[in-house]
Amino acid sequence: MPTITFSYSDFQQLLGMKIPLERFGELLLLHAKAELGKYDEATGEATVELDDTNVPYLWCVEGLARLMRNVLGKQTGPATINLKKGGYVLIAEESVRSVRPFIASFVAKGKPISDYFLKQLVQTQEKIDTGYGRKRQKISIGLYSYKRLVFPVHYRAVAPESVSFVPLGFERPANLSEILEQHPKGKEYGWILKGFARYPLLVDSKGTVLSFPPIINSNFTGKVETGDKEVLFEATGTDEESVNLTAGIFAQNLAERGFDIYSVTIKYPGTTITSPVTRNQKEKISAKAVEELTGLKLDESELKVLLRKAGYEAAGGYATPPAYRADIMHPVDVIEDIAIAYGFDRIQDAPLTSYTVGGRDKAATTINSIRKAVSGMGFQEIFSHILSGKSTLRTGIPGGGGGEAVHLQNFMSETYSTVRNSIIIQLLEVLSGNKHVDYPQKLFEEGIVAAAVKGRISEWRSLALVSAHSRADFTEMKQYLAALLAAAGRKFDITPAEHELFMKGRAAVISVNNKTVGMIGEVSPELLSSFGIEMPTVALEINVGETLIS
Amino acid sequence: MSNDKTEEIAGSLHRLERAVLPHLEKHSAVSDIIAASRMQEVEVMRALNWLQNKGLVKVTEAIEELVVLGENGKAYAKTKMPEMRFLNTVKNKPLPLAEIKKAAGLNDDEIGASIGSLMRMKAIEDVAAAEKTFRITETGKKLSDGGTPAQRFLSRKFPLKVNELSPEEKALVSELKKRKDVIREDVVKNRTAALTGPGKEAARKSLTSAQTVDQLTPEMLATGSWEKASFRPYNLATQAPRAFFGKLQPYREFLEEVREKFAALGFEEMTGPIIESEFWNMDALFMPQFHSARDIHDAYYVKEPKSATDLPQQLVKKVKSAHENGFGTGSRGWRYQFSEEKTARLIMRSQTTACSARKLASADLKIPGKYFAIGRCFRYDVIDAKHLADFNQVEGIVVEEKMNLRQLIGLLKLFAREFCGTDQVKVVPSYFPFTEPSASLYAKHPQLGWMELAGAGIFRPEMVKPLVGRQAGVLAWGIGIDRIAMFKLGLNDIRQLFSHDLNFLRNARVIA
Repeated sequence: MPTITFSYSDFQQLLGMKIPLERFGELLLLHAKAELGKYDEATGEATVELDDTNVPYLWCVEGLARLMRNVLGKQTGPATINLKKGGYVLIAEESVRSVRPFIASFVAKGKPISDYFLKQLVQTQEKIDTGYGRKRQKISIGLYSYKRLVFPVHYRAVAPESVSFVPLGFERPANLSEILEQHPKGKEYGWILKGFARYPLLVDSKGTVLSFPPIINSNFTGKVETGDKEVLFEATGTDEESVNLTAGIFAQNLAERGFDIYSVTIKYPGTTITSPVTRNQKEKISAKAVEELTGLKLDESELKVLLRKAGYEAAGGYATPPAYRADIMHPVDVIEDIAIAYGFDRIQDAPLTSYTVGGRDKAATTINSIRKAVSGMGFQEIFSHILSGKSTLRTGIPGGGGGEAVHLQNFMSETYSTVRNSIIIQLLEVLSGNKHVDYPQKLFEEGIVAAAVKGRISEWRSLALVSAHSRADFTEMKQYLAALLAAAGRKFDITPAEHELFMKGRAAVISVNNKTVGMIGEVSPELLSSFGIEMPTVALEINVGETLIS
Repeated sequence: MSNDKTEEIAGSLHRLERAVLPHLEKHSAVSDIIAASRMQEVEVMRALNWLQNKGLVKVTEAIEELVVLGENGKAYAKTKMPEMRFLNTVKNKPLPLAEIKKAAGLNDDEIGASIGSLMRMKAIEDVAAAEKTFRITETGKKLSDGGTPAQRFLSRKFPLKVNELSPEEKALVSELKKRKDVIREDVVKNRTAALTGPGKEAARKSLTSAQTVDQLTPEMLATGSWEKASFRPYNLATQAPRAFFGKLQPYREFLEEVREKFAALGFEEMTGPIIESEFWNMDALFMPQFHSARDIHDAYYVKEPKSATDLPQQLVKKVKSAHENGFGTGSRGWRYQFSEEKTARLIMRSQTTACSARKLASADLKIPGKYFAIGRCFRYDVIDAKHLADFNQVEGIVVEEKMNLRQLIGLLKLFAREFCGTDQVKVVPSYFPFTEPSASLYAKHPQLGWMELAGAGIFRPEMVKPLVGRQAGVLAWGIGIDRIAMFKLGLNDIRQLFSHDLNFLRNARVIA
């Protein structure tokens, strides 16, 4: 979720009115899916956290002010730009099609850029690059000092070693491969270009490099500075619509900051478009559909008012979202905006209209009976994480999956890197951590365990009991097993067996109806000492589904 | 005390009391009684304590103050104190300070202490010279031969009893105590026990009286010998060792209560696997494959096997179409190339919404129907007091032919009452990729204050149509129950929900 910081007085200026901070906080919750974070009294800066990852136009003070102008009635309908023509041409060559095919661009001319506004531009650029632009893979944005360029600009893909230029932050020229290897941004974003033979490049008509998208701008042209009056904007990417949306957002922001926006003609092989693209698809919205989804009875004129409050153009039963939005896929998206414009705080709740019979999962009742029975034998219940670290067995308990433990490919900590394939060993960890606590220690846990069996995942519910005290022995655990299975009306057999968990000659597999369901035994002294446990310990683990749930 | 009373007491003596009594006639120091009786110290002390309570024994605790040698004191007793070593070096001729220090092997502290002490005793004199130089006096020579009073004191046999010291020795003690680790004073308790008059009587009686019985045995019941036996009355106030009974884990029990509550509200329980395919966990929920929650840094990916082999292929095609072009729902879809390889990728379930998707696609879905799931979910998160990598989520759906936002708000208000005990709520717009409209519920908990209790919404048509096979109204919600669990269990660190601390679990309050 993006978080942005801006001057609150700048916000109020863009809004065209003063509103108390508290009211702003409420409006953010009710209309922007956003939350007011901290407000710094000293600098007058407010922080806002945005919840909606699909509406990037709100990730800047200009966008928030625009929304609030609609909400507070300072403006109705969408904000638009009076696009000027300057004869600017950008040629997108065939060579970029397979690497990074799309580009959108415009030129903004106006007043000198202030230090504060430059910081805001950079913040908006970073938030969109990182979040909506998927760490620059889908979209990356470049801003250039227009005075140093000569149109037309070319967007092409080149061999990595064929071009050298001085990137931002470097003092000497480097070719594209060197930039990927040596420049911090090259190291950070180089993965995006992995596997491509040619890399994207923006050059002007004199052959001066503007930038190496999506990695780094040139130190000469690709640096906007305080006081600059004219900038070139460009967004490249893999998704045409996102690239256009990004240009639309920046153009609208700069226009509202008093800049004139000049379109750039982008010549793709075979097609030519005027950027930024200002069209948007309209959706048919009927009062009936609105009532169905929201429960609100609204007539056509009320709908129109609410749509315009939400920043839409509304005419003839259709709603057209503004050019700075591309999140509308279906009429339900528009209807939600109508409900938000109406005000969630004004919507009356309604009851559900149907009666249904509730109930627990079939296994739940049995499992709870088992838990009560085992605790009735004096065992303390444990509830553990399913992800564990060392708590896995090389060979699972017979009767369970018996397969390989399931490991995570990406884990943050070794402690939570594997799905447990046995509960006994987790209970041994509990014993190990409670050596100072009064004995006897009798523990149990019931829960999900998993293993990979012949390339397929197998999950089952397992029950484990351990008893640790100075006289713990096989007979004791066998008594608990017998009592538990008798309480479930099951007969069982035990057959001597060996397992890494148990002492030789003091372990057995348990079977019910000739099916192996688990193991019982005295825990081996090697294992006990590896856990630092200084008490004899006996244990059993059974597959609950196979044994007790029928 | 009457004779009868003494007899009665003698008859009721505990085994330990009877064992101690005979030794009291010969010994008075408790340490001697312990040695003579060959009992454990705690047993003797318990017995003496009980006997004293019955007026049979008088236990006296004498506090004795002792002077003992410290580490330096022990060393000085052997190798002489610094001032003695000082005197010895200047015994024959005056020497400058630096040479004294070297010859006597003294550090700066010791030199300082020696000069102060020797000047006070007038044992040395400062010779006026360019370099600071000392010479021994007549008094000093005598002290050098016979030893300073402090040196003589240190050579006595320690520990010494404070009340046996002379006034001069007491003065020496307070002087030496100021120096580092030479001597210190200790207090020890000396316990003695003596029989009282009735005690002597009881001792005699207890030895001669008929055997009293500690425990009723099966044999006594079988033979009827209990009729003639005299049972020792217990001291019922004796502290009993703690017993622990088997307890159910309080957090798991809390979750069980929540499950029962949902069942009572008309919701049917759903379950599903914890190792899920991206299909059920995300794609079926209309979360685009490029969504940031599907990053390698947000979900846990399974190392081996990599892919699910049991995906419903026809359904996958429908979901793919929903992502790519809206599947005829009137939606444009996400408009990208859906990967069937990615959809099969196995991950750790990151949201129980996967259970809702499975339920919507299952043949036994009831419309109207209400469903809930409480299941384990996994997130790639740094674990701290507020975050776990492996946690429980509470989630559910309400399915009817049509469902609207007013009903969703009604349902959220019901949850606020049931789980937070409050009617003070705020419902605000929210964002989830699979619901439209979406809402968040804030509720004012009576103790915890305003908290975000639930996220909810109406499932998008692009999600519902492929799964159910037709359009239907589905309200979906998830409740953040862990903060309430922590409040109920009195915890302030979320990691304690899965605590492995046995003392904590054994002492947890389980009876409301």
